[in-house]
Amino acid sequence: MFEYFKEYFDSKTFFLTLGLVVVGLVSVYSATYDAGAGVIFQRQLMWAGIGLAGMIVAMVLPLKTIHRLSFPAYAAGLVILLILLVVGKTVSGSKSWLGIAGLGGQPSEFAKVATILALAAFLAKSTTIISDPRHLFLSIAIAVVPMALVLTQPDIGTSLVFFALFLPVLYWAGADNFALAAILSPVIVAAGALFGTSFFVASVVISALLLYISRRNRFVAATAFAVTLAVGLSVQFVYERMPAYQQKRIMTFLNPEADPLGSGYNVLQAKVAIGSGGMFGKGYLKGTQTQLNFIPEQWTDFIFCVPGEEFGFLGASLVLIFFGALLLRGITIATVCKNKFASITAIGITAVFATHVLVNIGMSMGLMPVVGIPLPFLSYGGSALLVNMVMAGLLMNFWANRKEY
Amino acid sequence: MSTVVHHEDLGSPARRKVLKFLVVGIIGLLFLRLYQLQMLYNIELGRKSTENTLRAIVREPIRGYMFDRHGQLLVDVGPSYSVTVTPAGFNEHSLSLLSGILSMDSEAIREWIAKGRAYSRFSPTRIKRDIDFKALSALEERLYLLPGVNYQIDSKRYYPTSAHAPHLLGYCKEISDAQLAKLGEYYKLGDLIGSSGLEASYEVMLRGQKGYEFLAVDARGKVIGSFENGQNDILPREGFDLLLSLDAGVQAFAESLMTQYRGAVVAIDPSNGGILALVSKPDFDPSIFSGVTPLEDWIRLTSDTTKPLFNRATMTRYPPGSTYKMVLAAAALEEGIIDENYRITCTGAYRFGNRIFKDLSVHGSTNVVEAIQKSCNVFFYQLIHKVGLEPWAEYGRRFGFGQSTGVDIGEETQGLVPTAEYYDRVYGKGRWTQGYLVSLAVGQGELGVSPLQMAVYAAALSNSGALHQPHAVDAIRNKLTNRVEQFQQRSRPLKLSAKTMNVIREGMRRVVNEQRGTGRAAAIPDVIVAGKTGTAENPHGEGHAWFIGFAPFEEPVIAVVVMLENAGSGGSRAAPIAGLVMERYIHGEIKRYKPKPAIPKPVRSDTITVVTEAYR
Repeated sequence: MFEYFKEYFDSKTFFLTLGLVVVGLVSVYSATYDAGAGVIFQRQLMWAGIGLAGMIVAMVLPLKTIHRLSFPAYAAGLVILLILLVVGKTVSGSKSWLGIAGLGGQPSEFAKVATILALAAFLAKSTTIISDPRHLFLSIAIAVVPMALVLTQPDIGTSLVFFALFLPVLYWAGADNFALAAILSPVIVAAGALFGTSFFVASVVISALLLYISRRNRFVAATAFAVTLAVGLSVQFVYERMPAYQQKRIMTFLNPEADPLGSGYNVLQAKVAIGSGGMFGKGYLKGTQTQLNFIPEQWTDFIFCVPGEEFGFLGASLVLIFFGALLLRGITIATVCKNKFASITAIGITAVFATHVLVNIGMSMGLMPVVGIPLPFLSYGGSALLVNMVMAGLLMNFWANRKEY
Repeated sequence: MSTVVHHEDLGSPARRKVLKFLVVGIIGLLFLRLYQLQMLYNIELGRKSTENTLRAIVREPIRGYMFDRHGQLLVDVGPSYSVTVTPAGFNEHSLSLLSGILSMDSEAIREWIAKGRAYSRFSPTRIKRDIDFKALSALEERLYLLPGVNYQIDSKRYYPTSAHAPHLLGYCKEISDAQLAKLGEYYKLGDLIGSSGLEASYEVMLRGQKGYEFLAVDARGKVIGSFENGQNDILPREGFDLLLSLDAGVQAFAESLMTQYRGAVVAIDPSNGGILALVSKPDFDPSIFSGVTPLEDWIRLTSDTTKPLFNRATMTRYPPGSTYKMVLAAAALEEGIIDENYRITCTGAYRFGNRIFKDLSVHGSTNVVEAIQKSCNVFFYQLIHKVGLEPWAEYGRRFGFGQSTGVDIGEETQGLVPTAEYYDRVYGKGRWTQGYLVSLAVGQGELGVSPLQMAVYAAALSNSGALHQPHAVDAIRNKLTNRVEQFQQRSRPLKLSAKTMNVIREGMRRVVNEQRGTGRAAAIPDVIVAGKTGTAENPHGEGHAWFIGFAPFEEPVIAVVVMLENAGSGGSRAAPIAGLVMERYIHGEIKRYKPKPAIPKPVRSDTITVVTEAYR
């Protein structure tokens, strides 16, 4: 019995996830301790319970069922995003909350999972040949459509996550280096164009190099480079014709210091909070910066300040180690799975976690621009917690079914 | 796992290595940064961790000023000191000392601190506004004994002229919990917010934008210094100034004429609807609201039976009496029901059904001009049955009655112009008679208007054709661009023929300038005045005295309305006040006699003035 359990139950993923969820609950409690917001903690606790149930369901569902549900889930995700586009309620500047039976739900979180599943299902089809440009374009479309819908909300951060999960998935599925370079270079050049002329020139040189090194056919490489250049040049053209408020939003995204009372001030506070934690931290509920309610909504995007300040380097490192172990576990699961669909999905999930961890923690420590994406398992937010735990449940599922083709 | 064999193109070992390397790289990068912040910079940040915290201190912006049409400063700003407490740093033991210095109940202090704590333990909250210099110096001396206590400079209103205009200018009050919940974001507990008049309507422009100063503060709440030399600080932005159409001299003079009365005076520039003066009496001194309003003053104002806080100029709804006769005359002339030669014989009474409606005297053979001049009731009694209720109501609406004027000083009544539909609703279908119309003909009955609406009406009659939306603010001085921005004023044409207007205006001219005119008391030297008197009967004693008028007759520059509650006849009570107000505006002084000049009253002592200048 125990042997059987050991064979099929992925205790590593399970306990890493649970550990992170507990750190999250402890941190949310501390961050909202003063504001008299016991409500927030209780709600998060309730969602952790729901998340655990979701995790178990995701773990025990037959792999075939999940595979079969991929495209319907993807279609449903698109429909919800479309509905949101029409009748979205605006919460903190973007329309991501859909009022479902009084509970806020963030459809873009759901769409993220659905997109991974649909991409994996498409790439796992025996008829799909990744080196065929038509199939490559189809897979790009699968990722780009929800990404564009999320971008209109406007949620720049989450739409970047779609892009960040797409590349590793293609890479894992066997796309050649040239295809990856051709997808990556327009984005590099577009970003460079927004930062100014010198950045633009540098990004053009970099993408030209990437395309040149990975080229197989000179004509195709030249075409890809032409497309890249066209994208880069049109960015400037589109940007200049945008309404001023949209330009400002993009500028604040790229350069948070331009809005010092907004995100710049948060980063300042977050840096002092984490830095003042020292080796051992100030002790639970004793962080003066954390308890300082000047960081708005610190229990969401800036949650990493809490372990950083109150548990110090030891505590915060432990959180990083947990994340690192979980990410490596995801790659291991993708490697051992015989089922192609499960393997690709595992990489997609790992990529999503990795992007969130890098951007969120990096932002809290002033390494990354302030992008409003939550830290998995730690940040307050019911639907995000549920979806993240479901994704962890999927990893456990793939582990259990790793021998299934 | 080494036994697993994949398709050659899926998850090749090389690619697995690359991804694992990426993950290790990401976590490693974050780890290094964490190490750098917590272990290396910790010497710098660690000092802050045990001693200092970073605090954002709100820097209050200077509220916008208000100037009159000649650039005279009407509403000024000066400094006022508020005591603040940061709940986290406050020590209960110093409560009695603090309550002694501020002569404030310690329970009340505790309550404010509790309110502040609910918002944030670490940000200062005001516990008392506008303390005097004695309390301030006492506080400063003992500040070292009072951890968590500090003071900050807020702004406070001063009114440097004797033109009070409290109902027009309005006042600010501390934001209420309900407003705080609704307006959120920008406002904080203890902030002032425009609560009536222009202060409320133009709140967003007047208030400016708060600034923030980032300070390093030690654990006891003592300021160590600015954070990173203040490079992150945000300067407050001054509020925009309001440039009013008001004439401070005329306003002050009109207020002085009204001290004996309950009622209102409204004067308007007929060329654009700018309010030159707006008086509502009894009134109050707006400076009692500029600092902390003592509770007893507030109770006195709100419990006063004469309602000094009530804006009679825009909020009262009284019948206008005979001043409304020009509406009926306009309807009859314009619809071709009568012309200027149409005459009736006034026998001093009018019989409708079995009721007799009396006139004040026997006017004999009367045409429409004479009927306005002598205010002949019989002429209009019979006329309303020829015109009918609906056309009469329609012309009333055309002059702006029964609807909001859209004035920018806040609350106003729409008034009431009764229609058949209204009577059906109130009395029931078929349960009212044409007899009801007889009162309406002379501006009595259910008809209700505000003095402001009457001023708009008088202005429209004077300029022969345009109904301008009344307004107190002509322009703002935008402190961001430092440019004066003119407000677009709205108006609509009356669509009355020149012939009709000339007949009515001739009647109004005769009211003031001919024998048997009822408003001769409004006449002023060297200028031809036109007008109309009214006395609205009411069940509460003497009639309400009305006068509407404008001058000079040919090219009017001012239209004025005077309404006096229960003061008697419009011709003898209201007309003289209207005449004086128009004379003061046109001549800049009173020629017929020398009244005590309205000198700007010195509100501030010289020492405070110096502080104010420095504060600007």
